[in-house]
Amino acid sequence: MRRRSFLQAFGSAAALAPLVGTGLLKPGMALGTESGRDAFEARTALDALRLLGAGAAEQNAALIIRAPEIAENGAAVPIEGISAIPGTTQLTVLVDKNPFPLVLQFSFGPEVLPRFQTRIKMAESSRLRLVAMAGGRFYTVFRDVKVTIGGCGE
Amino acid sequence: MADPIKIRATLKGSTGEVRLLIPHPMESGLRHDPAGQTIPAHYITSMTLSLNGRSILEAGFGTAVSANPLFTFQLQDVKAGDKVGVAWLDNRGQRGSTETVFDTN
Repeated sequence: MRRRSFLQAFGSAAALAPLVGTGLLKPGMALGTESGRDAFEARTALDALRLLGAGAAEQNAALIIRAPEIAENGAAVPIEGISAIPGTTQLTVLVDKNPFPLVLQFSFGPEVLPRFQTRIKMAESSRLRLVAMAGGRFYTVFRDVKVTIGGCGE
Repeated sequence: MADPIKIRATLKGSTGEVRLLIPHPMESGLRHDPAGQTIPAHYITSMTLSLNGRSILEAGFGTAVSANPLFTFQLQDVKAGDKVGVAWLDNRGQRGSTETVFDTN
């Protein structure tokens, strides 16, 4: 179903062919609409990590996740993720206590530094995880954030 | 129709910073309106950043990216005049895109 709406939106599979050729988009993983979407439906961070193949991620101090210690508004928590691990091609953010813990995933081409800033929703105080993929291995770092007013339900 | 995407691309030496603000409700499907009805999910599922027409970043999103998503990225080895573009797709098949040119300021 998702695949169909995706193809309709972009005209045809042929329109995507040039992207697949860059090696950035792997067939079947285009824009996170295929296998990658399963992890977004996972109800626990561990299930999501397992679906991403990152179940055995090791903690690594060259990964940094910045977020406020106390977030007033769970609907918009500012975060910054930075990887100093050489060869990082992917960064993933999870919030353990969100109804769907997988928040986002970025796949970086060589032109883009493996770092980003954004704002995310946190339903309640929770552990925040940043996961990096580099050279086919997974690394992770945690940070606990206290949320005053949750930002998912109601 | 949705408000236009705001995109800013600035150069510091050969490093480029791209800032994006995409007007979008990012509705999780978990909230209820005052009458108790579930507000249907409506959120961006994917986003692509391109440089001179070539994809350089792919993003997949769940429902927990904040409304009106805001992103900052850093690009290496870019120069004034390089074109940076963004395109998004949501769970309803709606999409948006824009592009701009790197400028020194």
